[in-house]
Amino acid sequence: MPEPIIDFRGVTKRFGEHVVYERMSLSVLPGETLTIIGGSGGGKSVCLKMMIGLLVPDEGQVLFHGTSVPDMPEEGLRQVRRKVAYVFQGGALFDSMTVGENIGYALREHTDWSMARIEQRASECLTMVGLHEGVAEQMPASLSGGMKKRVALARSIAIEPEVILYDEPTTGLDPKNIKRIGDMILKLQRELDVTSVVVTHDMPTARKVSNRIAMLYQRAFPFVGTADEMWHSAAPEVRDFIHGRIRRAEQSAPAHPVDAAEDSRGA
Amino acid sequence: MNGIERFGALVLSGLEWLGGVARLVLRVLRVGPRRPFGFDDILHQTVELGVRSLPIAMLITLFIGMILTWQFGWGLEDFGATMALGNVVSVGLVPELVPSMLAITVGVKMAAGMTAELGSMKVTEQIDAIAALGADPYKKLVWPRVCASTLSLPLLIALGNLIAMLGGMLIAEWKFGVPAGYFYETYIDELEPLNYIASPVKGVTFGALVGAIGCYQGFNTKIGTEAVGAATTDTVAATAIIIIIADFYLNTLFF
Repeated sequence: MPEPIIDFRGVTKRFGEHVVYERMSLSVLPGETLTIIGGSGGGKSVCLKMMIGLLVPDEGQVLFHGTSVPDMPEEGLRQVRRKVAYVFQGGALFDSMTVGENIGYALREHTDWSMARIEQRASECLTMVGLHEGVAEQMPASLSGGMKKRVALARSIAIEPEVILYDEPTTGLDPKNIKRIGDMILKLQRELDVTSVVVTHDMPTARKVSNRIAMLYQRAFPFVGTADEMWHSAAPEVRDFIHGRIRRAEQSAPAHPVDAAEDSRGA
Repeated sequence: MNGIERFGALVLSGLEWLGGVARLVLRVLRVGPRRPFGFDDILHQTVELGVRSLPIAMLITLFIGMILTWQFGWGLEDFGATMALGNVVSVGLVPELVPSMLAITVGVKMAAGMTAELGSMKVTEQIDAIAALGADPYKKLVWPRVCASTLSLPLLIALGNLIAMLGGMLIAEWKFGVPAGYFYETYIDELEPLNYIASPVKGVTFGALVGAIGCYQGFNTKIGTEAVGAATTDTVAATAIIIIIADFYLNTLFF
């Protein structure tokens, strides 16, 4: 088994009284697309945010190439964030900047490239996600939901990351755009040879893009395996999730919205 | 929870809030002065916060000058001492009324704007996105705003002092028959060096407080668009209260 790129070891994460993870372990292997599925408000995004140090665990370790992310100095963390791109659920495009400036943001931060070169790279990234160059001049507010997600994708690949984290990339999209985003994830995986972690509760997308699926259930990942293994799993919690059945324990447990930046180091 | 417990909880939350603002200031002082200094961002924010506040600042200070002169003139008329209007009005306006009134109006407007903008960015995960792209949100968002408010408020106060004096001059001449030249001479004569120092020092202090509170509240906005409104309202109250307390403290230092 290859050395994991990202490794969670016995991670516990709490927000006040609410325990999101309890002694959770999970490994992300190089080159794979790992999909994290689970109910809403369960803490899937928290898992992604811990990977790049936006949130820090209360106990346990989060390792990137064997180095503890929460213990990294500022510069180390900056380098992790250069290598690990994050596609936010709503796109999180900067309202005050054009699409082109959004895409070039990481390049301006991490390189000493000229403006012309950054603009050229932004155009390449837009083409890669199926948008024409003219979009670069538009403001994010003028884009549709699907276009925003694709621009967010373009922004994430601009700096040629090793890993891309997708936080619910298909949420709020129509079936055509869901398919398009799924195809895009596969295309980027193929063309850029990146490792991907996708958080979703859209089962068709999960099945389409994943090498492995990890199912979040009761503060840990009791199931990690291929899509086929998941579909044929006899574990009741897996069957219930696939068929959309609500278990009694889940019904009585309220979903806690998590203020993600509450204990964030970066924000 | 009884009254004492409630009071204790209120004091504790107040201290926690002050600690949060202090931590933000320390962090900004640590990351802000590093290269690149972000002059473009500071300039942009100075235009947004300072230059766009010019009309409202001029209007407010013009009327403050006119109102104070009217009030004092009305009082001094009984003693036949309207010729002392310039002396009296200047010590009220320059070190106290112009700085504090501008801080409470324009400064609070600046702080509320910062909270609303940063709060919206927090809710839409744009602040997280800045961090995720390897930049420091404190350097990118807080540093330029704190610098801009610290820079622009004393400049607005300096201009406000001039406009308030002109407002006073207008009322002194038109209502009480004090010649403008005489009003100006007595106005300037009365001011001591300490008055000239107090006004910009207050401006810088209030500007820094406005920036720190506005940004802290924005960064600590809870989830949801409703929370942005609540954070902005809290900013208005908190900034006004802190400015009044800081003004009192600075007065005890200067006079």
